Order: sequence, then C-alpha cells, then structure tokens
Amino acid sequence: MALSNNNSKRAALGTGLLALAGLVSTPVLAQDAQQIIRDRCLACHTETGSAEAPSFSRISEQRKTPEGWLMTINRMTHLRGLELTREEKRALVKHLADTQGLAPEETEGYRYLLEQDTNLVENSIDQGLAETCGRCHSEARFALQRRTEQEWKYLVDFHMGQFPTTELHSLARDRQWYQIASNDTAADLGKRFPLITQEWNNWQKASKSDLMGRWRVTGFVPGKGEFDAWMTAAKTSEGHYDVTLEGLYADGTALNGEGKATVYTGYEWRASLTIDGVKMRQVMAADKQGNSLEGRMFVAAEREIGGELSAVRDQGKAAVVAVQPSYLRAGEPAELTLIGQNLKGDINLGEGVVVEKVLSRADDRITVLAKATGNEGLRTVRVGQAASESALAVYSELARVDVTPANAVTRIGGAGGNLPKVRASYRAVGYSAGADGKPGTEDDLRLGYMPASWSIKPADEVAAHDKDDKYAGSFNAAGIFTPGDAGLNPERKMSANNVGRLTVVATVADGSTQVEGEGSMLVAVQDFVRRVLD
Amino acid sequence: MKLNKLFKSAGLVGSLALGSALSAVAPTAMADQEYLLTVTRPNQLHVIDMSTNKIARTCDIPGPFGSGAMAVSKDGTHAYVLGNNWEDIYGFDIRNCEMTFSAVQSTPTIQVKSFQSVAVSADGKELYTVQNPIKKHRDRFEVMEPRLAVFNIEDGLNAKPVRTFPVDRRITKIAATEKGEVILGGADVKAINPQNGETRVVTKLANWEKGPLWLPPDAFAMHSQGEQANEYIMPYITAKFDSEEWNFETAEWWWGMSRVDLATGEAERMETIPFEFIIFNFITDPRDSNILYGSFNTLSKHDISENKTLAVYEMPHTYYNLNISGDGKTIYVGGTSSDISIHDSDTLEKIGSIQLTGDMTTSDLRVATIRD
Ligand code: HEC
Ligand code: HEC
Repeated sequence: MALSNNNSKRAALGTGLLALAGLVSTPVLAQDAQQIIRDRCLACHTETGSAEAPSFSRISEQRKTPEGWLMTINRMTHLRGLELTREEKRALVKHLADTQGLAPEETEGYRYLLEQDTNLVENSIDQGLAETCGRCHSEARFALQRRTEQEWKYLVDFHMGQFPTTELHSLARDRQWYQIASNDTAADLGKRFPLITQEWNNWQKASKSDLMGRWRVTGFVPGKGEFDAWMTAAKTSEGHYDVTLEGLYADGTALNGEGKATVYTGYEWRASLTIDGVKMRQVMAADKQGNSLEGRMFVAAEREIGGELSAVRDQGKAAVVAVQPSYLRAGEPAELTLIGQNLKGDINLGEGVVVEKVLSRADDRITVLAKATGNEGLRTVRVGQAASESALAVYSELARVDVTPANAVTRIGGAGGNLPKVRASYRAVGYSAGADGKPGTEDDLRLGYMPASWSIKPADEVAAHDKDDKYAGSFNAAGIFTPGDAGLNPERKMSANNVGRLTVVATVADGSTQVEGEGSMLVAVQDFVRRVLD
Repeated sequence: MKLNKLFKSAGLVGSLALGSALSAVAPTAMADQEYLLTVTRPNQLHVIDMSTNKIARTCDIPGPFGSGAMAVSKDGTHAYVLGNNWEDIYGFDIRNCEMTFSAVQSTPTIQVKSFQSVAVSADGKELYTVQNPIKKHRDRFEVMEPRLAVFNIEDGLNAKPVRTFPVDRRITKIAATEKGEVILGGADVKAINPQNGETRVVTKLANWEKGPLWLPPDAFAMHSQGEQANEYIMPYITAKFDSEEWNFETAEWWWGMSRVDLATGEAERMETIPFEFIIFNFITDPRDSNILYGSFNTLSKHDISENKTLAVYEMPHTYYNLNISGDGKTIYVGGTSSDISIHDSDTLEKIGSIQLTGDMTTSDLRVATIRD
C-alpha cells in the first residue's frame, strides 16, 4: 500500500495549507480531506471511481449530521484502531458533513437530538421501528441519517457484531429480530431515509450565505432568565468564526462571552463560548437565506441545563425580533421590552394595545408600559418600518399551563461518588382557552413562557407510600430541579436509593387566581454509560 | 409498579446479612460428594465443598471473564466454562484444577460467540455449543448462520469442532439428554441429533397454538442448573386476555415453562404460577417434581400442581441464580454479587452464606456430584 507515500505528501502540505485555509477555495480543501481519507482509511476501506470523483467504500454511501460523522469516526478510532490527529478529525468531519450532510428539511422534527434536548418522549415514527431500533437509543439517531438500503443492512450487521446480544433482549427474543431488522427494517429505512433525495440535491446546488456578521440574539439561560444580546461572528477561515456575545438578562445583569463557531453543511451552526465563566454550547440552524438562526444553548458540562436561542442578522434594516414577555393581560398595565435593531419611528403594539409610557428607548431595545383592551389574540408589533407578526398575545384569562419538559429523567449522584447529579431545568408555558372557551383544545392561544413557582408531589400511591417527594430531590426558585444524593439512604424503607417518581407542579399567578400545570419526572439511578448523544 | 419497587431494592447490597450470625450451618451427611461450582470476576472457577460449605479449591481461567456459563460432566469430575467474552471454552478437572480442554472459537476474521450454550454428552466424550459467527470483513461485518459445534473432549487443548450443523438463531442454554440428543433453547425448544444434525421440535413456544387470547410467550433463560432433577427448564411469561380489547391491566399474567426430562428428551409445557414478581431462574426439588424454587430479589417456593406460591423470602439484594443439594434440603442462592446465600428448603430461612473473592455477575451455579 502507498500509505507512507501519501503520508509524506500530506506532511509537506501540512499545516501551511490549513493556516491558509481562509484564502483557498473549497475544492482544494475537499481534495485535502479526500487525501486524509486515502491516508487514514484505506487500510480497511477501498477506493473506486475516478480521481476527481472518488468513491470510498461505506463512507460514500451515507449522509449524516456533523454529530453523526463524529460518532462514526470516533468509533473508527476507539474500536477499529484508526489513528487520526485532532486536526485531521476536524477537517474530515467538516468535509463529510459539508459534502455528505443533511439538507435543512431533512433534519426537521429531529433537531432535539442535535440540540441535545433529550428530556422528551419521541413521537414514534411507527411502533415497529420503535421496537426494533428505538429501544437502545433515540429514533432521531437513525432518522438523522440517509443511506442506501444496502448501507442500512450493513448497519444491522454492525449492531449484531458489536452488540452480539441485541437479538436476545426483551422486545427482540420474542421475534425473529435479525431477519426483521435486516430485511424489513432495512428496506423500510431505505425508503424513508434514502441516500439520494431531491432535498439534498437542491441544497447542494443552493447558494449559501456566509454567516459572518453581527446578529441580534435572544434566548434563555436557566437560573439567569431571558436575555437579549449582540453576537458577532468574525471569519477566521472557511466555515470558522470567532464569536463574541454581549447583552443583558431581563433583570438587568450583564452577559458577556466569547468563543468559536463552526458552520457545517452551509447552515449548521455549532459554537463553544465561555459566558461569564461558564462553558456553553450553541447548536443552531440557519434559515435558507442565512439571515436567522434558531436553536438551543446549554451548559457544556450539563446539557440538560439550557434554553432556546435565536439570532437575526443585522442587515442595517430595522427589525423587531422579540417582545419580552410575549403576552399582555387585557386591562392590566404591564412593562414590555421590544428587542430589535435599528428601531426608529413610532411604536405600534397592535389593535387595542396602548403605550401608556415609554420607559427607555434605544435603537435596539425599547421598554414601554402598555395596556391592552379589546379581543384576545395575537398582535403585530411595529416600530417605524419594522414589523413582527404575532409577537404579542393579548389575553383575558390564563386557562392552561404546560410544563416543559413534560417528561424528564434526572439522576441521583454526587455524595462523593464519581458521577455528578443530573439536574433538569423547567419552564412553564401559558395558554388562554381560545374561542371555544375550553382549555386543552386546538384553538388555545399560546401566550409564552411565564414565571412560575415550582413544587413536587409523589407520582402515585406507591411513590407517596415510599415518600419519593421527601427524598428524591427539590426545586429552586428558578425552576431547576436537583435530585438527591447517590447511595443508600438508611432513612428510607429497605434503605433504598434516593430515586423516585414525581409529579412536577408549576403554579402561575394570573390576576387574583392561580393556574397549575403538571409534568412527570423519574429520578433515576446514575447512568454509568457516558453517552455522546442518545 | 411492582417493577419499580424491585428496582429500588436491587440497590441494597447485603444489608440484612450484616447483623445476624450466619456461620453455623449443620453439615449435611452425604454419601456422594457434592460440589457447588461458580465463576467470579476477574475469572476464577470456585469448587465449593457442599458438606462444609467451604471453598475446596479455586481454578484460574485463562483470559478475560466470559459469562460464567458452564457445563459439568455427568461423573462430576470436569467443568467446562465459557470464557473470554463468550468466545472460548476451558475444561478443568475440578479435583485438581488441571486444565484438560480448551477451544478458542474466534479467528482474526470470524468472531464467534456462544450465548451461554455449553453442554457435555452423557458419556462425557463430546462437548456442544451453539456458535454465533460474524464475519469481520475489512470494512463491514457480516452475520452468518448459527451452528451447533461438536468437539471431541479427548482432543484436549486447542480443540477444533469435529462436526457442525445449522441451527436456529437466538439459542441460549442447551443440555444433553441421556438419549444422545442436545436440547436447544431458542424461540421454540428443539432437540438436535449431534450425529447427523436432524432436528425435532420438543415444545413449541414462539409458534405455540394456544388460542388467540394468549400472549405469545416471552421465553428466556440464561442459566442451566437442572442437574439435581435431571431436567432442563425454559421458563416463560405469558398472559391470557379477557377479550380482544387486549387490556393488559385485566389480563391474567402467568409464569410457565417447558420442562424437559433429560432421561427421555420429552417435555411438558404448562403455565405454573401467576406472575407476581420477577424470577430469574427456577429449579425443581429433586424429591418432588411439583415443588419449584425461584430466585431474583426473592427466594420463593411454589407448588405447581396447585398453581400456588408457598413461601417467599425477601433477599437483601438480587440473586440471579440458585441450586439445590441432592437431598433437596438445602438451597444455594447465588449470582450477581459475591455471596452465596444458603437456605433451608422447608422454611426458606437463611442458614448460612459463603463469601467469594469476586462478583459472580451472570455466572452459573452448578452442582457436580462425584460418586465413589
Ligand atoms: C482498521 C480498520 C479501519 C479503518 C482504519 C477505518 N475503518 Fe471505517 N470501518 C471499519 C470497519 C470494520 C467497519 C464496519 C464496522 C463498523 O461500522 O464499526 C467500518 C465502518 C465504517 C463506516 C460505516 C459506519 C456505519 O455506521 O455504517 C464508515 C462511514 C467508516 N467506517 C468511515 C471511516 C473513515 C472515514 C475512516 C478514516 C478516517 C475509517 N473508517 C477508517 C474499519 C476501519
Ligand atoms: C442493543 C441496542 C441497540 C439496538 C437494538 C439498536 N441500536 Fe443502533 N446503536 C447502538 C449503539 C450502542 C450505538 C453506538 C455505536 C458507537 O459507539 O459508535 C448505535 C449506533 C447506531 C447508529 C449510528 C452509527 C454510525 O456510526 O453512524 C445508527 C444510525 C443506529 N444505531 C441505528 C439503528 C437502527 C436502524 C437500529 C434498528 C435496526 C438500531 N440502531 C438498533 C445500540 C442499538
């Protein structure tokens, strides 16, 4: 094999090329990444096709997200004996996600996995797939991949070889698991999630805008609250950016951070920032024009602690990007903050909403005292030329509160053990009943996130008898639940662990009444398997 | 609901065992010498003298831990242990720990695992295992057909299969009958003639025809310990629904089993007792085939002629496995952790324990009887 040859050639190109990467055009980078594949992967994989359009066995017949490629390449190093430098790995994941990624539409409905927002019960694709493939990991794991039928088959054989007892587990041993997975499931997946799609063809051809620039950002950090900020992305090389974030939390405290971002596949924004001393990660997707980003930001060491994040590009034009809070109770004057950019001109909060007083005003942030009269409904908020549709919900009575996450798993930990506690952060979403006057129906009007007080109670009689609510953990005022200590608790019946099944209760004040919403939580034992993504 | 409670108590390691004085165990008078065999981590085979409940000797098994599954020769002198992540088989003379047999099943290009399946022919000459091969191509794996592999025990170290025959997928534990067949515990219980590969159905499980209101059985067994009653048990869980509404709440849930008589190779299949808690393994009392014992978070005793649970003893932690003395009086409960708990089979009261040097995890708990 020509391994050594290739290696020396690569060493000669080496770092110089990477340093210049910002200046060279993409095709040269692609060749560079292909060279890494030739150097590092062809001990086991094979190359066919032409030099300009090479095809690498197994590698060229799949498409997946950057996280998907990272998982595969990590397995190649951990289990197959591949050797790769950090720089090579980075370049390869970038190249593969860019050239064999997923189109924006193809990730729709499954972004929670990328955003590492895993405290949710998946909407199963169908029961067969859930039982065959969704019992060890999320269904999103395979729904975020595209392969030929043959590649789906190879994947089944990989599972059988790597996890030989797969066909003996519950939900497998009572049926012909391997035959089902290899024949029916692989064919089904080949149709649902095929390698070649119109979406991907279109996205490859689409012109993509660079995400460097200045962005107006709004988001939520558990324990700190809602914030608005400015983010700058300064390009360091193709797809790589230095990032700063500067802004204010709703309570007026400053927020400051900086870090780095990489953009994969022309729209997948992944950034690592240190914000006021805490390492945070951002996972967002750009819209097709590259003018807005949507996603989630979470604590790097504790992915459960995070909240939504969005950014709108500063194009020199006026824009209203958010109203905080996003609701106004009819008849009650309240403060509203309009977040935006280049905000000049008259403020108009929509039909029946009166600005009683402008409390403060800047180009990017206006705080007013407003009062609503008239019908319930969504209002368009305008400042001069800028308009944001459905930005403000006017309502007369809070009728329903939803708890998010609706189903959560937290884990006991700490207490001298080597696994930290897994916490959960909660928010309450308010709704009014809508035209039919009945809460819980389709026409309920979503008002937005509301401040709540948080409490727990036992999930059922057994949990009550075992006093799960006493031992399994507690809430702080910010809606963060901290589970109990790891280890046996001699106070508990049979010295059980501090595990439990709880109902989470959010209580939201509305005028003179209170409305409650409930979620369910399992406080489980430690999970000793460290997961990349579930 | 139940499950959740069990799940909690599974965390209690040995809390009951600590206080009480447990050392006084009356040695049972036995004409034949019985030895209790099990494997602990990192990878030791322990030979426990059941007349004193003391470890007589400990044999080191080469390589990493396998699963602790083992087969004992009919004369009780040799044990064959599945080692190295379910890939290798090592045979020992339990009287002196001499390694008399070994088979390394995998090669650099084919990974071969045996899921618990090891058995020795009644005459002690052949060893059987069900191989689950995976071909390791350079950039992909390929699942191959499982096969029964027959080894000549006389071939000693580095033995290779002398015959192989295709078998079903998902076969776990197996047993050799006195008639020369090998019982294969898979989706259905089958028997294969290891001379020519001819297979017959012993008990239909996955393919049973029990009527539409019965849930297809979830049959599974990881351990074999039927030597004292000369039988092989494949337990299952099923449910009888009260209508085609398939209401899981109102259905009758049952334990059942296919129990094969290893003298004849014939089996009875029946629902035994209502499903009330998890039992990982069952054994039959050698004195009365209607009396069964089971272990997991509890040690329990059942009379299957009346579909009744006679006694339940709460264990301080999970024990996967159990076995019984030849006289039926003493029960040994083991697996999972590092202690074997000894109980009176009448009352289920704890009468002693044996502390081992490591955890048994999934290991078998078998009895070897050496007759003079
Ligand atoms: C030492 C041998 C070896 C090397 C080197 C190696 N691979 Fe693999 N690769 C394998 C084997 C074996 C499999 C099949 C088993 C598996 O999927 O883990 C595989 C499978 C794959 C798959 C299919 C995975 C799936 O989910 O279906 C991809 C993609 C892949 N390799 C990419 C790479 C890339 C990229 C490199 C080089 C950076 C590489 N491999 C280097 C041995 C290797
Ligand atoms: C026994 C548990 C189990 C079952 C059942 C299972 N998986 Fe997996 N799967 C895993 C584990 C563990 C990994 C992680 C492998 C690694 O470390 O790279 C994985 C990885 C994957 C990956 C990522 C592989 C890559 O490198 O891109 C995909 C896609 C996947 N599984 C799809 C499926 C499908 C489709 C099925 C059903 C046919 C299935 N899984 C059933 C355990 C399971």
